[in-house]
This record gives sequence, C-alpha cells and structure tokens, in this order.
Amino acid sequence: MGDSQYSFSLTTFSPSGKLVQIEHALTAVGSGQTSLGIKAANGVVIATEKKLPSILVDETSVQKIQSLTTNIGVVYSGMGPDFRVLVRKSRKQAEQYHRLYKESIPVTQLVRETATVMQEFTQSGGVRPFGVSLLVAGYDDKGPQLYQVDPSGSYFSWKASAMGKNVSNAKTFLEKRYTEDMELDDAVHTAILTLKEGFEGQISGKNIEIGIIGNDRKFRVLSPAEVDDYLQEVE
Amino acid sequence: MSKAAIEVPPKGGFSFDLCRRNEMLVKKGLNAPSFLKTGTTIVGLVFQDGVILGADTRATEGPIVADKNCEKIHYIAPNIYCCGAGTAADTEAVTDMVSSQLTLHRHHTGRESRVVTALTLLKSHLFSYQGYVSAALVLGGVDFTGPHLHTIYPHGSTDTLPFATMGSGSLAAMAVFESKYREGLTRDEGVQLVAEAISSGIFNDLGSGSNVDICVLTKGHKEYLRNHLQPNPRTYISEKGYSFSKKTEVLLTKITPLRDSVHIIEGGDEMEE
Repeated sequence: MGDSQYSFSLTTFSPSGKLVQIEHALTAVGSGQTSLGIKAANGVVIATEKKLPSILVDETSVQKIQSLTTNIGVVYSGMGPDFRVLVRKSRKQAEQYHRLYKESIPVTQLVRETATVMQEFTQSGGVRPFGVSLLVAGYDDKGPQLYQVDPSGSYFSWKASAMGKNVSNAKTFLEKRYTEDMELDDAVHTAILTLKEGFEGQISGKNIEIGIIGNDRKFRVLSPAEVDDYLQEVE
Repeated sequence: MSKAAIEVPPKGGFSFDLCRRNEMLVKKGLNAPSFLKTGTTIVGLVFQDGVILGADTRATEGPIVADKNCEKIHYIAPNIYCCGAGTAADTEAVTDMVSSQLTLHRHHTGRESRVVTALTLLKSHLFSYQGYVSAALVLGGVDFTGPHLHTIYPHGSTDTLPFATMGSGSLAAMAVFESKYREGLTRDEGVQLVAEAISSGIFNDLGSGSNVDICVLTKGHKEYLRNHLQPNPRTYISEKGYSFSKKTEVLLTKITPLRDSVHIIEGGDEMEE
C-alpha cells in the first residue's frame, strides 16, 4: 500500500498517546448523516438518512445500504467513497472465505476481516485511515447480530446503536425504547422514530433507507413504497 | 514496502521458459506424467422454454471405475449450470472458481448473471493455460436475453449451438441428437431425448456408464433431476444370502504366561525351519 517514497506511516502518535488522525477520522464520521441499527429477537434492522445535496439528484441511483453477502448487510456514516472501497474489499473477502471453506462466512469473521483492513490503513505507509464507521447487520447460525466498526479498526457488538450527526440524541432515544424481546417489525418502527427525532424536513420513503434481515436469513433493502407503508403505520 | 530484487518477465505475452526445460528433461530420460482422461458423455439442448443439460455418472481412472455415481453437472449460478468432461479435478476447480467470480459480480451489479459472462470467464481462463487445464464443458443457462447453450474446449475455443455433446461418448450421443432433434421441443420431449442420448453413451462407450443426470433450466426456474434414469442398478447383497459353516467347538484353552526375563545368546544357532 502507498508509494515507495512514503514508506513511513502518516498516522503517528501524539505525546498524549493518541492517534490524532483517527480522532479526526471519527470527527468526519460524526459529521456524516445519521445511521442506526437495532437487533431484534428475530432479525436486525439498519437505517440511515439519505439527504441528497440537491433536489436535482436522482435518488434512485443512490443506495447507501449495501449487502455484503446474501445474509449480511452494512450501512455507514461518513465518507461515501471510502465506504464503497470497504464494501468491495469485504465482499471479496466473504467470497474467498466461501471458496476456501465451502460455508457462508460467519458475521463475526467478516467483521473481523473488515476491521483488519481498516486497521492496516492506520499503520501503513502513505495512506490515511478510512473516514467511515460501519454498522454490519447479519443473521447466521448464532442468530441475529449487529456490529459497529470504527476507523481505528476496533469493533463492538451492539443491541442497538447509532452513528453520525445526531448520535447522542439517537442513542438516548434507543436506550429508552429498546427491549430484548422486540420483534423485527417493532424494531423497524423504533428505527423510524429514532431517525425522525433529529430529522430536518419532511421524512418520506425517498429520504431514508432501511435494510432488514429476518429468520429467512436474506438481507434486503426495503423499497421506497415499503418504507412509506412503515411510515404510515408509525404516524 | 522495499523494492524486492525479483526478476519479473516483461508484461504481456507468454513466457515459455519452462517448456524448454520440460523438453530438456524428456530428452534426458524423464517420463513425463500422463494425463488421466475420464471418459464421459455430456449433452445439452435448447428447447422451447429453455435449456436441458444431461450427463452420465461414471468417473474412471484408466480401466477402473473410480466413482459409480459422481455429479458432472456443476452449479455456476442460480440460472446457469455446466457439464464437465475431461480431468474431474480440472472441471470441478474451474467451475467452482467461475461460480465464485460470478457471485461477486452479482453482488456488485445487483443483477442476474448472464451466460456469456460465464462463457467469457471460462474461456479466458482455459486459454491462458494453453490447454493444460483439461476441461471440456457444456455450458447452458437462461438469462435476461434468453436461453443459451455453449461448448468450451480445453484450449479455450467455444461454440454456440442448439444441441451439443462432449466427452468420449459424444459420438454415440450426437448420433441420437442428429436423428431426433428438432426446434421447439416441449420439456418432456426434450428430457426424453437427452435421456436417450446419454443412455446411448452409457451403453456404447466404455468411459461412460451408471446413471443419467438431467438439469432443466427455464426462465426463473431450475430442476435438477439427479439420477433421473438408473439403467444399471447395482445389487449389493446376494438374494440367496451367504451361508457360512457352523462355528468350530472349543476343545481346550491353554494360557502360556510371558517369561519375566529373556537371555540373549549372541552368535547362537539359527532357528530351525
């Protein structure tokens, strides 16, 4: 990675023991659009705001929530292009795992490998850390799982989490609303309400995106029409 | 990140250095390893709603039947399947590899895979190995542009055909197709014809045998008929049963304890026979 002239790392320690570049990366994440995830008893839901820079942008061409495998999906907060690169790498790693072991990659393994990639970019020559935090939602033999991966490469398993602009309000809201035995549909409603909390303007199926995975273990992104249906149920 | 001093061949083109080395070794008397040809009959035909693929199930190692019921119809994508003749390991590995590449491609594009994509990935791989990957394939599938059937040869050339056969039993199967194939077959007629062609290979070619596998691919639907026909049933247990002689009576039991210490005589007499 990096040009041969830059064999030294650009991410260096400060005297206080912090990696300043990673702190800055987290700031970039914190100024990105809000995204959140909730783990229900029978599935996981991830959601994000989809605020486009202008009304002239064709919103059907933008998809912020992506699938990594048939049973694992991911959403981000931060820099879109960095997310694209990570998604491509993760998909390849998942497929390589499948070729080697002939089983679908477990969610924890994929999260670990993605986190390893992100860590490599904090310790290699001539590269900068990724400016995204990921929320990975998956359903495998261990059941529904939700993981957050940070630019430093650290990852955590969450029952519910939020990232981006409105993170503190969103997390407080989720702490109040979360129950262990929530069903997937309830989780979707809670996710919508949480997004609504900090939403500027009129919320609709066109400016938020929701991805779900249930017992069928098939990750899919809801269509704008489906999102509108859920929105109506919430109101 | 330091530049290692590795000799890299000029970019592009083939490097045939090892071929010269192989020739030199053969001249010096080395027995070059021979290829194991696995006889097979594999066929494919296009019918009115899609594609039907068929294969026998015998895998051979020279004159021995290594596997009486192997699977020669390989999965490439939900709408694309591939029959493989030649070295079994080569066909397995190559179809597995392309299947993996197509899964990744489907994730990136969000679309159903096309048969021509599988075709191009397979032929470029086989061409780059100059025929050393001994895989002869019949590739069939139904995608957005319609049903497709192709044959791929080990050196990387391809054909697009309405009906095709490959393998050591290909002549026997092709004889059946040439006489009975017509356009616009129904599903049942197609399956019947494919079964006949494979059976012809099974009975007239030594390298093919055992059962008939069939795969019917139509738009949005696939039917994998494993062991659709079993014209060579194998009975494992003799119907009469085996008769063993009565158990011998025990007359005497004698236990001789092991000796505690053994004296080793060096240079002693040899044991008498």
